[in-house]
Amino acid sequence: MRLRFLFATLCGLVLAGLVHIVTVLAIPALSESDALTRSGTSESLDHPQRIYTLSTGDNPAPAEAWLPIPDPSVAVGVCAYNLDDGPMRVSARTGPQMLSLAVHGRRGAFYAVTDQAAVRGALDLVILTRAQYDEALANDDENEPSRDVRIIAPERQGYVVVRVIAALPSQRPAANDAVQAVSCTIDSPNEDAAKPNG
Amino acid sequence: MANVSETLGRLWAPRARAPEGPGPGAAGPAGGAIGRSVGASVGRFLHKTSQVGLVLYALALGAVLGLASADWATRGGYPFGGVAIGAWTAWPRTGSLGADPYARAVNARRGEIPLAVGEGMLVTAATDDAGETLDATCTYRLAGITPPARAWTLTIAGRGARDPARPPMREGFTSTEILRERDGRFVIMVGPEVEPGNWLPSPRASGPVRLALRLYDTPVAASTGSLDRDSLPAITRLGCRR
Repeated sequence: MRLRFLFATLCGLVLAGLVHIVTVLAIPALSESDALTRSGTSESLDHPQRIYTLSTGDNPAPAEAWLPIPDPSVAVGVCAYNLDDGPMRVSARTGPQMLSLAVHGRRGAFYAVTDQAAVRGALDLVILTRAQYDEALANDDENEPSRDVRIIAPERQGYVVVRVIAALPSQRPAANDAVQAVSCTIDSPNEDAAKPNG
Repeated sequence: MANVSETLGRLWAPRARAPEGPGPGAAGPAGGAIGRSVGASVGRFLHKTSQVGLVLYALALGAVLGLASADWATRGGYPFGGVAIGAWTAWPRTGSLGADPYARAVNARRGEIPLAVGEGMLVTAATDDAGETLDATCTYRLAGITPPARAWTLTIAGRGARDPARPPMREGFTSTEILRERDGRFVIMVGPEVEPGNWLPSPRASGPVRLALRLYDTPVAASTGSLDRDSLPAITRLGCRR
């Protein structure tokens, strides 16, 4: 009887290990409080959803913050994308403040760029699937090469994080505005290109 | 879920009574064949239910232990994956595709958006250089330099929600705000009492606190192995308030 009890305990422990592994792996997919799920509400917006607004003199408490321990001097915005709707274009104009864009998929960030990569003060990211990338490449005008940074996303859903650093408290309103000034639009498929061979 | 627990409860019931089961059957003073046959059937019944009970016991043990340990491992901070540099711990991979499943689960549960490798890196400290936990009642001296980065911020936070009674004071410094020595080094005093120079007030009256150094646009995120003790500020405890 005791032996069987020990055996049952052992089986229980092995099972516990399996349950532990499965649970940890399943948490990101099942979680309803993760950044991907929460950013999904911003999918229809043309501008980043403010998720951390820096406190300024007038409005000290950022109400919409859901980051657990936010950096008090970095404004954060999020644009969610779903590549089924078409490629996602993120355009940012660089300013005096440091700006960074990071593209996150379900499994983590797969691309990040700062304003130092900007060409003539503009940073244009286009996030697309492999098929959309091939299409864009085929439609490229040879005489007018595109300046977009094209990134192939491993998954169809994800979000782009915009971070603007306010080095001094007086720059905080400007940092909040800089996050809002980034545009996230869906690149509508070119009508001409959609027709087979013109 | 309620159904399962009900079923479990019903199936568990005979097993829970198992130890006292043989008592009345064996010690029945009326004795005789009836008693013995009743005892035998009770024994068979117990044997069968004990098997079921053991299976259920194993299943319940697995479910409870597995879920509890998964919850424990993904609650709060990242369980592992950090690079210890003196008192500091660098977290270069928590936001990348190469993040371990625990870091991903922690991020998902907290709604955290970690810094990507090309964006920056988080470095945290929960202890001083002597290995003592950072406490809100103590005064600390942070002195030295930071790894190369375009900008950095150093923030202090206690665990849990912020105390609403305390007025919001300085939560951190940025690399631009800081007062530096002539050679570019800096000293930040962390503690409950007002200090001259760069003073970072304790975020709460008592209890453990954590320091977070966020390096933005830094080349070291890709090569944390190049960091050593001297490339991060030393944390020295100066004294504690009684």
